[in-house]
Amino acid sequence: MASKIVTLRVNDREEEFLARPGTTLLGALRDTLGLTAAKRGCAQGACGSCNVLVDGKPVPSCLVPVETVDGAAVATLEGVAPTGDLDEVQAAFLEDFATQCGFCTPGMIMTAEALLAENPDPTRAEVVEAISGNVCRCTGYEPIVNAILDAASRRRSA
Amino acid sequence: MSYRLSPIDTQYFAPDHEGDDFTVIGSVVTRSDALGHVTGRTEFFEDVRPSGLLHLKMHRSTRHHARLAGVDSSAALAVPGVVRVLTGADIPNNLYTPLKLINVEPDDEPILAVDKVRYLGEPIVAVVAETEAAALAGAAAVRVDYVDLPPVFDVEEALADGAPIVNEYHGKNYFTYEGHHCRRVRLGDVDAGFAEADHVFEWRYQSSPIEQAPVETTGCTVVPQPDGRLRIHSDTQACFFTLDNTALILESDFNKLRIVGGTVGGGFGGKVDVVVEPVACVAAMVTGRPVKFVYGRHEEMQVSSPRAAERIYIKDGVLADGRIVARQVTAYIDAGAYSRHTPYGTTKAAAHFPGPYTIPNVRIDCHCVYTNRTPSSAMRGFGVTIGDFALESQMDRIARELGMDPLRLRLKNAYRDGDMKAHRKRAEGTALIEVMQKAAELVGHELPDEYRRMSSLEAR
Amino acid sequence: MLANIHLPASAAEAAGLLEGGGWLLGGGTLVMPRVNTGAVPVDTLISLRAAGLDGVRVADGLAEVGAAVTLARLGEHEELAFLRPVVRSIASPPVRNLATVGGNLFATQPHGDLAVALLALGARVDVLSTGGARTIDVGEAVAHNEVVTTVHFGLPKVWRYRKAMRRKHNSASIVTVAAALVVTGGVVEQATIALGGVASTPVRANAAEQALIGRPLDLAAAEAAAAAAHEGTAPFDDAYASAWYRARVLPVHVRRALLGED
Repeated sequence: MASKIVTLRVNDREEEFLARPGTTLLGALRDTLGLTAAKRGCAQGACGSCNVLVDGKPVPSCLVPVETVDGAAVATLEGVAPTGDLDEVQAAFLEDFATQCGFCTPGMIMTAEALLAENPDPTRAEVVEAISGNVCRCTGYEPIVNAILDAASRRRSA
Repeated sequence: MSYRLSPIDTQYFAPDHEGDDFTVIGSVVTRSDALGHVTGRTEFFEDVRPSGLLHLKMHRSTRHHARLAGVDSSAALAVPGVVRVLTGADIPNNLYTPLKLINVEPDDEPILAVDKVRYLGEPIVAVVAETEAAALAGAAAVRVDYVDLPPVFDVEEALADGAPIVNEYHGKNYFTYEGHHCRRVRLGDVDAGFAEADHVFEWRYQSSPIEQAPVETTGCTVVPQPDGRLRIHSDTQACFFTLDNTALILESDFNKLRIVGGTVGGGFGGKVDVVVEPVACVAAMVTGRPVKFVYGRHEEMQVSSPRAAERIYIKDGVLADGRIVARQVTAYIDAGAYSRHTPYGTTKAAAHFPGPYTIPNVRIDCHCVYTNRTPSSAMRGFGVTIGDFALESQMDRIARELGMDPLRLRLKNAYRDGDMKAHRKRAEGTALIEVMQKAAELVGHELPDEYRRMSSLEAR
Repeated sequence: MLANIHLPASAAEAAGLLEGGGWLLGGGTLVMPRVNTGAVPVDTLISLRAAGLDGVRVADGLAEVGAAVTLARLGEHEELAFLRPVVRSIASPPVRNLATVGGNLFATQPHGDLAVALLALGARVDVLSTGGARTIDVGEAVAHNEVVTTVHFGLPKVWRYRKAMRRKHNSASIVTVAAALVVTGGVVEQATIALGGVASTPVRANAAEQALIGRPLDLAAAEAAAAAAHEGTAPFDDAYASAWYRARVLPVHVRRALLGED
């Protein structure tokens, strides 16, 4: 089996590691690099709990063979507040009761981060579309949408 | 963000908390687990990654009902990376039922199928490997010879004469309640009630199984400890229930197991069965290494136990003015191939009928039925929710037949404090009438004075 | 189990690798779910991510789209704005950041709405193998040793698209309707209508097209087309809708699509 050396810039840190063929970006993040915020929910791109940013774009990391993104910049939830100070999205999720079981939260937050980076003042409909690939089976969508809108307004007035 | 938090009505509640200094009620309290959630530091079971971890995947039945003529795991063992296969013979006590902890009998379910399989997806051989890919390849390589048996999927067909027996441990396709073929409730004389009634209405209701579909699939990681104990990281909703059942299956002392849990990525009732921990523990014991057994999404949908399918017949004797004088409920609750929690769910259903109405003559028969479908178990209000759908649909249909406002029909029959319920319990603190009156007011549904004056505190 | 993942630098290199067996990988949205469950019958994947198939060119009313262009990029292209509703009706934004135009041609119904749109556009598809290049109609079979390299189509004069879903976003199709029309002097001169969700592959609604041609694009003509739309369809049951439901609502969505109704 021909493992390959893969280099990624993960949360602004250079990482170099060996990957077996078929290793997904999700598998590399969790099992090789120990970054377990991104979750495996469906392993078929349907639930969004493994969403991370690759070169700034949100993608389901379970669908990405890691060799195919060699050299890319990857952002995970661990990198959002490395020093412990929550950013606006995290703070809004925390204070607006946008978490229940917490399993979808890392994917939700990363998807929201991508939306707000591109569109700092989204409408409610735009938020709903942005997270349409993120399943919250506790069905707490209302507070999640509220929190993302709240985060946008916090960030605009920051 | 403005919270939609209603302030305490201090005037209304003044007598209750005079002198009290509330520090929590009426204030915003952050969830204790939310900081871990928003930083990604909450540790779910799969975030625990012990070194030397092995992966367990299951070879499952491709038949609904079949005798096992032969199981050949040699091709699985030949897959590079596969370290061990487990069959029923490897499980110390390969027969259980989860509710044995509360004296439900008999044990009716193998951990790994031995002589026959009773539903599609039933586990037969566990394959333990160095990588998940090798475990999947190994599980796919197991060969099973089946002798097909006729399956039965319908609750009423399962109870008909000549139906194939699904589960030999019961010997018939229903659970026996203290010598009876169903869970029964009797009050008054239902036949006399039907005779007295101006109308008799009988309709049928049914539901399909409903999957809880948590985003985190069912799973556990078992880590052998230096002192010989097993540490089980699990997403079970029922840590101690799982610990006790697993100990009985392993024929182990309870204190040899430790469960680390309580962090559940969605459960909704779907994670109260004990289906991954026992076999993962056996795998960890025989290999001496940590073992992870986690369902894939397809397994979660196909074999994790759903809310039971139900079929419910409700027959009501109703007077011209809308008073219900007799109600007969016959419910068939589909346990699937094994008991799991459905004998209990069926009892809950029997306890819930005939609904929140005072009816003088009641006959309830709730059957817990075995079929060759995926075993059903708990899900949010199991045994009750589908019954409510049936009951309230029935109330709406009666109202329509009588040309009556459905809310007035309900108010007229609503139970009141002091009424004797079918289960020989006096109703207390009912407040159903007041809730309906308030709801009617809020949606602008007009009620005549006679109905607005009704009170659950006044005897009917 | 997978043994190799190749990342060829050109389509020709991909075609060469494909001769040795294996599957092509576009964005991974169709192949990786099977890899993750151990259900891929091959040991080699050939990713088109670096094969130089990610160009989009629009000139003189003609579009040329590389097979590895993501749906997200397609949806952002100014001159292909008419395809935005198609793109937005497919999956979710993160999946669209991976899923490719070429890959969508291989999505099984009731997925593959872009393929339905491309059928209505009369798109042509360039494929390459070690034996050479050829151009086929969209929907025509691609051989197992061929790499889809480019999709091209003319920009439509009048474009209609509608997808009935179980929810507003991120659902497979119940019924998808795409139509490219030429309307001259108020009369429909040409009509190409494609349907999704109502057969095992995207299908042309020939009878509906004929019912429309030569008539003004009004309610009566749209209803006539709608009534004829079932011809050639073979609706199926799945988790999204029953065959009965799909057949029942097909004419409604054809009418609404043609008239641009909400």
